[in-house]
Amino acid sequence: MIVLGMLLALAVLVLINVPIAVAIGVIAAVAMVEKGGMDNLFSAATTMFDGTTKFSLIAIPLFVLAGAIMNTSGISRRLIAFASALLGFIKGGLAMVNVGTSMFFAEISGSAVADVAAIGSILMPAMEKKGYPKEFAAAITSSSASLAIIIPPSIPMILYAVMSGSSVVQLFVAGIVPGIIGALGLMLVSYWFAVRYNFPVEEVFHLRRVWQTFKDAAWAFLLPIIILGGIFGGFVTATEGAGLAVVAALFIGLVIYRELDIRHLHTALIDGAVQTAVVMLLVATSALLGRYLTESRLPQELAQSIIELTDNPYLILAMMNLLFLVLGCFLHGAAAIILVVPIVLPIVNAVGLDLVHFGLIVTLNLAIGQQTPPVASVLITACSIAKADVWAVTKVNVYFIGVLAAVLLLVTYVPIIPLALVELFYR
Amino acid sequence: MNGLRKVLERFLEIVCIALMVGLAVIVVVAVIYRTAGSSLSWYDEVAAIMLAWLTYYGAALAALRRAHLGFPGLYAASPPALRLPMLIAGDALFIGFFLILGWYGWQVIVLLYGDTLVSIPWVLVSFTQSVIPIGCALITLCHLVTLPERFREARLGLALHDEEHEAIEAAMRDTETNR
Repeated sequence: MIVLGMLLALAVLVLINVPIAVAIGVIAAVAMVEKGGMDNLFSAATTMFDGTTKFSLIAIPLFVLAGAIMNTSGISRRLIAFASALLGFIKGGLAMVNVGTSMFFAEISGSAVADVAAIGSILMPAMEKKGYPKEFAAAITSSSASLAIIIPPSIPMILYAVMSGSSVVQLFVAGIVPGIIGALGLMLVSYWFAVRYNFPVEEVFHLRRVWQTFKDAAWAFLLPIIILGGIFGGFVTATEGAGLAVVAALFIGLVIYRELDIRHLHTALIDGAVQTAVVMLLVATSALLGRYLTESRLPQELAQSIIELTDNPYLILAMMNLLFLVLGCFLHGAAAIILVVPIVLPIVNAVGLDLVHFGLIVTLNLAIGQQTPPVASVLITACSIAKADVWAVTKVNVYFIGVLAAVLLLVTYVPIIPLALVELFYR
Repeated sequence: MNGLRKVLERFLEIVCIALMVGLAVIVVVAVIYRTAGSSLSWYDEVAAIMLAWLTYYGAALAALRRAHLGFPGLYAASPPALRLPMLIAGDALFIGFFLILGWYGWQVIVLLYGDTLVSIPWVLVSFTQSVIPIGCALITLCHLVTLPERFREARLGLALHDEEHEAIEAAMRDTETNR
């Protein structure tokens, strides 16, 4: 009852346009005062501060920074050229290039909005010039950019790991297979569109051209090797991997490609800091709420009452999927993770679900949430760049959302898909 | 008000850039040291504190840019007569929360005076935690600076500026460069 009252109060505050982080903080502070008087606010200040000093979270600003440097150093252009030489011979080639480049870019940037900006700004005008409808161009760019949070490294996965106490590295590894399945699915649907609407072939396949573009982009390929190789090999933590990504991106942009635009980098740094702080303030106030919830054992009571209704893990997973899908339509992904994961975690533990498996389910739900209006930052960014209407794009995007939903179902009910590599290397 | 806004923006941008760059440098230097066989004992504690500072100073800049995550849909669709009370109630909660938090943050600093960091004993905890009252004051000030434009939007029913627009504007800035 208390949880329901708190959620209701939270919903009211969010609906009257109080920022979500502040709404969480206000509700938690009121609950703490109600429980232990004004003196509890002493610990509120330190709890919020301590909530932001988690070492793993340092990876967030660093991945944001690495993505910003890559955006401005000509890496995306070279990746597109390589993907075009490799996949451009297929009917609807530019759509394939779009998915292929996003898949690679996702391995480095960790942010879907960064992907849309980097890839969409080059590929969407090119697709329009070749006769692709701009709604299709925006839809495929937007959906394939969501791969950024499925394929490692992934900022939502870092947040989930911190909120749930699970391993970032295992989450990263678990995202690889679902990410590849998602990319192949998106390519398949694009091909169906290409045949049906007679989209053109981009370029004839020439091995020499593939080699040339590969050589040009080779330095960019070193980035995921350094980041993921270092993290998966256990040489560096995810945070340190993010730090190395910054250095590698800077080195490639400044020394190798010599295209780094310092003025743009300055703007990107500030945007990255704001982006990080917005998420971190949510983490800080949710630490306050988390402390209250832990002390009052409310999530455990909620879990108990749900378990009394059903302890069937499949049914509970279906309920979780529904909850996150609905939340994804109205909440930013980071907010959904920070707010909901601590509350549902006791239920997940009670029915014996694997935390890494559940993390993948949450991440996939949020990837779909990035595509479903009204709150759909990736879709809206793609539409803004393509100058296309959000609802017209959504009509096309439904097919690609279908692919992501199919991957979600596979991951939910065939746990070996995300967990096979984790079991093989880490357990 | 515009002058104050510019000064605040410039100051917060400089602090945020310094913290972002500092974080990257510290993390990389620590990896180099560890690889060379001598780990830096202060690295995780200092990096974590820098992240906390980035949170508060960045949150102030986000308040100035009105970039905090929210759900402005219902507010934006409401008639001006309903928007105004929503704005006043929302602002009272926002400002009240950070003022109270800042006050208790200050009290904590007074209580902790003399305590030092574990890894760097010559740095006072009260210095690292000073970001709570200072950050809260800055967040409140930045929020107040945007009040006239938010009040005007509420009264006239103008389009809202929110975090989605902020994200899109940032993406569009990237787009211009890529073109």
